[in-house]
Amino acid sequence: MAPAAMAPMPSQPVRDDIENTWHYLQTGITKIMLNLQDGLDLKSYMGIYTAVHNFCTSQKAVGFTAVTNINTGTHRGGLSSISSHPPASSLTFHGRLTSNAPHNLAHLLGEDLYTKLTTYLTQHLEQLVAESRNHTDEALLAFYIREWQRYTDAAKYIHHLFRYLNRHWVKREMDEGKKNVYDVYTLHLVRWREVLFSKVDGKVMEAVLKLVEKQRNGETIEHNQIKQVVDSFVSLGMDEGDSSKTTLDVYRYHFERPYLIATEAFYKKESKQFVAENSVVEYMKKAEARLLEEEERVKVYLHPDIALPLRKACHKVLIADHSNVLRDEFQVLLENDREEDMARMYGLLSRIPDGLEPLRAKFETHVRNAGLAAVTKVAADVEKLEPKVYVDALLEIHTRYQGLVKRAFKDEPEFTRSLDNACREFVNRNEVCKAGTNKSPELLAKYADILLRKSSTGVEEAELETTLTQIMTVFKYIEDKDVFQKFYARMLARRLVHSTSSSDDAETSMISKLKEACGFEYTNKLQRMFQDMQISKDLNSGYKAHVKSLDSDSKGIDSSYSILGTGFWPLTAPNTTFNPPQEIALDCEKFSRFYRAKHDGRKLTWLWQLSKGEVKTNYTKGSNKMGYTLQVSCWQMAILLLFNKEDKQNYEVIQEETKLNQDILDQSLQILLKARVLNIHPATEKPGPGTRFDLNYDFKHKKLRINLNVGTKSESKQEEVETNKTIEEDRKLLLQSAIVRIMKARKHMKHSVLVSETINQIRGRFMPKIGDIKKCIEILLDKEYLERLDDDELGYLA
Amino acid sequence: MSAKQDTATQTITLQSNDNAMIPVERCVAERSMLIKNMIEDLGDEMITNEPIPIPNVNEPVLKKVIEWCQKHKNDAPQTAEEENDNRKKTTDPIDEWDQKFMQVDQEMLFEIILAANYLDIKALLDVGCKTVANMIKGKSPEEIRKTFNITNDFTPEEEEQIRRENEWAEDR
Repeated sequence: MAPAAMAPMPSQPVRDDIENTWHYLQTGITKIMLNLQDGLDLKSYMGIYTAVHNFCTSQKAVGFTAVTNINTGTHRGGLSSISSHPPASSLTFHGRLTSNAPHNLAHLLGEDLYTKLTTYLTQHLEQLVAESRNHTDEALLAFYIREWQRYTDAAKYIHHLFRYLNRHWVKREMDEGKKNVYDVYTLHLVRWREVLFSKVDGKVMEAVLKLVEKQRNGETIEHNQIKQVVDSFVSLGMDEGDSSKTTLDVYRYHFERPYLIATEAFYKKESKQFVAENSVVEYMKKAEARLLEEEERVKVYLHPDIALPLRKACHKVLIADHSNVLRDEFQVLLENDREEDMARMYGLLSRIPDGLEPLRAKFETHVRNAGLAAVTKVAADVEKLEPKVYVDALLEIHTRYQGLVKRAFKDEPEFTRSLDNACREFVNRNEVCKAGTNKSPELLAKYADILLRKSSTGVEEAELETTLTQIMTVFKYIEDKDVFQKFYARMLARRLVHSTSSSDDAETSMISKLKEACGFEYTNKLQRMFQDMQISKDLNSGYKAHVKSLDSDSKGIDSSYSILGTGFWPLTAPNTTFNPPQEIALDCEKFSRFYRAKHDGRKLTWLWQLSKGEVKTNYTKGSNKMGYTLQVSCWQMAILLLFNKEDKQNYEVIQEETKLNQDILDQSLQILLKARVLNIHPATEKPGPGTRFDLNYDFKHKKLRINLNVGTKSESKQEEVETNKTIEEDRKLLLQSAIVRIMKARKHMKHSVLVSETINQIRGRFMPKIGDIKKCIEILLDKEYLERLDDDELGYLA
Repeated sequence: MSAKQDTATQTITLQSNDNAMIPVERCVAERSMLIKNMIEDLGDEMITNEPIPIPNVNEPVLKKVIEWCQKHKNDAPQTAEEENDNRKKTTDPIDEWDQKFMQVDQEMLFEIILAANYLDIKALLDVGCKTVANMIKGKSPEEIRKTFNITNDFTPEEEEQIRRENEWAEDR
């Protein structure tokens, strides 16, 4: 057949003789196994392949002489060797047209070779096991890696050379479901695992772990070695049923498991010692660095499969086991504003399950206390507390800790929630609120009023917008939003009626912010108030045209009117009788007629207490010939106009003419006296029956326009009390309407369920008291909106 | 890419068992898994310097096989999936060129099949076996014996028994 192989190879074997064939093959395999680096020549390669092929296709198995010339002689078994897989559909060409023979036939061809190869590998590996005993630690690693490399390289060659065996005998065995028959490459791995690996894996791992520990202690190591060991362990995880698949079982059991145990032990010891000798902050830095190092180690020389369990193990020993120490430090860090360290702690504790919960609780308590302390500091005198100072104090705490949440806690939603909880607490239940539960929303509304009112210390438009946004931040935490609404509406009314609003844009912006926060219903009235002012403007220009068309040389007064819808404005009719002076009464009459012609059936109520005007003096002596313009309330005007008839007026006459009640009359006079527009007789008296008032001809003032329409302290105080009173009443109505709404939808409900449902619905406005809800239910029962049913149930009566 | 092109069109020499030297393009020779694996194992250098001995195939057969490989050099290499889907493959009709290619005397036909099996050229082996199968299809045992020049060595009793056992398969 082929020409004789070169030097070390024996001559081509007799094709059907197993001993002869094996002797030839073994020489070649040994060469590949031990001296592959010297290369293999073409003839030997082809020789080995051919020997395997020829043996497998030999006819000896069935006891017939080989027949190559298929056109001559009998032809039993002639083409059995070309069976093309799978066997079921193969073209087994057999002289006897029977079906039972080929089965045995195929079985026999190759088994001898396979067994011989197995035995050879076992012997080779046992030899290696014996040699491995001479090495330890890094030398053993080097030995293992070198031999593994050599063995697998050889395995690849032999796999190719024995391809014919793979294609036929092995394939058929496997197709028939034989266990423990593998393709030649897998056979190599299986033998390695069984013979060598099972004996040396413990020692190899020991060496690996020693090396890793060296690195953890700061030494430089040859980590490529570990990488190769990992690769070897992973390769040994072949799935015995299917050579194309691999599992990580071997690697996991023999590498991962001991690696994790060693890692835990190492860090347990190290961290314990480090914590004992260093500060918590130092420890956190150390732990952070160690965790990073381990992640890096996975990337550089470990299998990615270990990343997760390794991280878990490290987290346990480096973080979870020390979590109490860390958390105890948190309070200290909070108190000292150690933002960076808190961020570090957050980073560490966020890695372990439930690690952050205790931090959040501490954080919440801390923020609440900080808020309460800040309020206490500014609230020395609640009565004189400036709204701005109060709101700024609240905002300062919120801003500071919101910043902390953002920078140190990555804006984590749970921390934000803790912040919100804390803020809600200190906004609604602080030192100031002790003086009056509605104090927080009241002061906030007042602050908004100050900002939106025209003032000499005008704020820039942009700055105003930011401040309003900040107000909304506090507003979000206010529980009694209805109280804010009440105060805000009252002050908006005042701003609109007296046209003291600094800008329509700012007002609109604020209303839309509130609308966004609380919905359409919340701001409905505010918006209507705004609209009324717009409509009034148009109405006034209509009225002026109307007056002009009536009589051209009008000597009437220059007047303007605001029509304010009763339901929308938080205003009530004056609490005094009043007889307006003739000049005003006439114009009012004219306007009323004009208005009624437009809107028949509407009732106009004059809110004199909100009306104002200007009068000019023509009587003053001295240098000023121009006279002064006095800005006065309607009531003051009525009083002053009396002096057009007579320079001296008795108290009783004034009272008779104006019909004002005593309180208001006295107040109005007081201001005129103080400004020295009038003089009182006797000079020591206060306004009251028996006194007389003289017009002061010597009136002097450095300004030409003088505002005398100033409210008194007691007035605004009274307004506050009133507002608070209406709140309680409105709340009852709000509760009742909520209850009716719920019952209308549900028809019947348990008492307790109704109460909790009501709380749910109303919470956006204020925190209702259960007692109040029960009272409201009683009222509704009395009014027969509801009925009592059995078993604590309530029913809805349509 | 060009480097790869170069190795694909590089010429290598095959040596038949009757010592004929046959130059062939590398990518053509690599239709044989044996040669492909060998080049992979031994490296490019080895094959450029020496002829590759093919100890089991003679010159005429080797040339015939190379002819087929030349024609099919651009076929997609068989995937593992196709290998499992063998049944479909075996029933596919043989394409026209291959049919013509296989119109050779019986001796050559069987030599090609043996060589394809030895050189591990799956597609060629399939075509060869299909050709033989087509020669058997629709023939009676006697006709088959005649076709392949086989002497009937069954005794009449044996034959009767086999017929009975396989009665179910008879085409009636």
